Amino acid sequence: MPLDDASAIRARQQVLGFLSDNAVHSGHELAATLGLSHSAVQATLQTLEKLGLDVHAVPGQGYHLPHPVEMLDADTLQRHLHPLSRTHIGRLDLHPHLDSTNTRLMQQARAGTACSGQVCLADSQGAGRGRMGRDWISPPGANVYLSLLWQFENPASLTGLSLALGVAVARALQAEHLTGVNLKWPNDILWQDKKLGGILIEATGTVGGGCQVVIGLGLNRYIPPRLSGAIDQAFTDLYRIQGQAMPSRNRLIAQILNEMIPLLVSYPRQGLAAWLDEWKTLHHWTGREVTLIQGERHVQGVLENISGQGLLILRTPEGTLHEFGSGDVRLKRSASAPF
Amino acid sequence: MDIRKIKKLIEMISESDVAEIEIHEGDDSLRISRYSSVAPAAVQVVQAPVSQPMAVSQAASEPGVESTGDKLTGHIVRSPMVGTFYRSSTPGARPFVELGQRVGEGDTLCIIEAMKILNQIEADKAGVITKVLVENAQPVEYNQPLFVIE
Repeated sequence: MPLDDASAIRARQQVLGFLSDNAVHSGHELAATLGLSHSAVQATLQTLEKLGLDVHAVPGQGYHLPHPVEMLDADTLQRHLHPLSRTHIGRLDLHPHLDSTNTRLMQQARAGTACSGQVCLADSQGAGRGRMGRDWISPPGANVYLSLLWQFENPASLTGLSLALGVAVARALQAEHLTGVNLKWPNDILWQDKKLGGILIEATGTVGGGCQVVIGLGLNRYIPPRLSGAIDQAFTDLYRIQGQAMPSRNRLIAQILNEMIPLLVSYPRQGLAAWLDEWKTLHHWTGREVTLIQGERHVQGVLENISGQGLLILRTPEGTLHEFGSGDVRLKRSASAPF
Repeated sequence: MDIRKIKKLIEMISESDVAEIEIHEGDDSLRISRYSSVAPAAVQVVQAPVSQPMAVSQAASEPGVESTGDKLTGHIVRSPMVGTFYRSSTPGARPFVELGQRVGEGDTLCIIEAMKILNQIEADKAGVITKVLVENAQPVEYNQPLFVIE
C-alpha cells in the first residue's frame, strides 16, 4: 500500500487515533469499529511500522502502541490559543501527511493563495527538511511539524528573526515545565547540548518590496528508538527528558504559536534588540572553542559574542574578531580530553 | 588592482614629464614606463605570487570576490545581501537554473542563506542565463554579481 495514497492515509489516521489511547485493541475490533477490512488493518499496521512506529502485537489479544502518539486536533488547538493568536491566525490547516509543511506553504505563498498568519501542520512528513535538505525524521503523531506564513513589508526587518524565534520556542517549552533548554547559533533548540529542534525560515519576495516568510519548526517530541540510529547527531526528545509528564502535542503547538505571534507582530518595530539579551542567556557556547563550517571552509576560533544584528563573532587564533552571517557551529573537542 | 585606477595613472603620466613609475599596493605591483618612441606607454602589471598561506582572517573577510563586474554585459542579477549562495533547494537536487536556460520574470534563480533564513532570489528580468558567476555553497557579498541574463 503506498504511503501517501489518500485512502491509506485516512486508514492510518483512523487506526492511530484509535491506538493513541495506548490500550490493547484486537484486529477484529479495529476492523469493525473503523469500517476497514482485515487486510486493510494489517496493511495499515505494517505501514505504521515502516514509518518508524513500533506496533506491539499481544498474542491472543491484539495490538497496542507503546508510543505517546497524539493526532492533531483542531478543537484542542483552538482551545489553547490566546485571543491574540486567534486574531492573527488567518487559517489553520491540519494535514495527516505532507512532504513538508514548509514546502506546502511556500507553494501557496508563491501561487498567491496563502494569507499572512496562515498555519500549516502535519501529523507526519514524508520529506521533512532541515536546513539545506537534511532529512528531518517524521513519524506520524509524534513530533511537531509547524509552519507559519507571515508577511513583512520590509525584508530588512527580518534581521535576526531566526534567533528571536528560538527564544519564543524556548519560552513555550519553559511554560511546559521544561528546564535546561538552550539555543545554538543561529537556529537550533537544544537541551543539554543535544538537538531538540530547529527552525527553518524561507523567504520569497522582491528586493525593495514586501516579502513573505515561511517559518518552519521541527521539534522532537518523540523519536521512536528504531529511528534513532538514522540521526547523525546528538539529539533528544521531550519524551526522553520528561517522560509521561511531557506536554500534550496539541497544547504545545498552541503554546508555541502563542509565543511566536506576538513576536512577529512586534518584530518590524522592535527587531532583535528586544530578544537578544534573553537569547544570550539561553546560549551556552560563549567563550568556547568552536569550528564554523561554511561549505568547504572551516574557521576555528573562540565564540566571542553575538552582534546586535545576530551575527556570530569569532576570535580567530590570530586574535582578530570576525563576524559571520552563515555557517554551522560545532564545538571543538577539548584539547585536554584524555583521548 | 582596479583597471580604472591604472587607466587614470597612465593618463596622468602621459600628461607629465615622468618617464617611469612603479607602484606597490598590497600584493600587486605596477610599473608604467613612458618612451618617446611610437608606443605611448607600456604597462606591465606584476602579480606577486601568493606564497604565504592565506590567513583565515583574510579568507573570512574577503571571500575572493573578483571584480568581474567591469567586464560583464547583459542584465546582471546581484546579491541583495551577505550570505551563502546555493544553486539548488537541497544538496544534490537539480539547480534552479542552468547555463543557457531561459527564465521568466519571477523564476527562482538561487537561494542566499543568511542566519538560517533561506532567501529565494528571483529573476527580475526574463531571458537566457548566459553566466553563472558563483560556485554553489560559496559566501557572497552584498551586490556581488550572481548571474547574467541576456
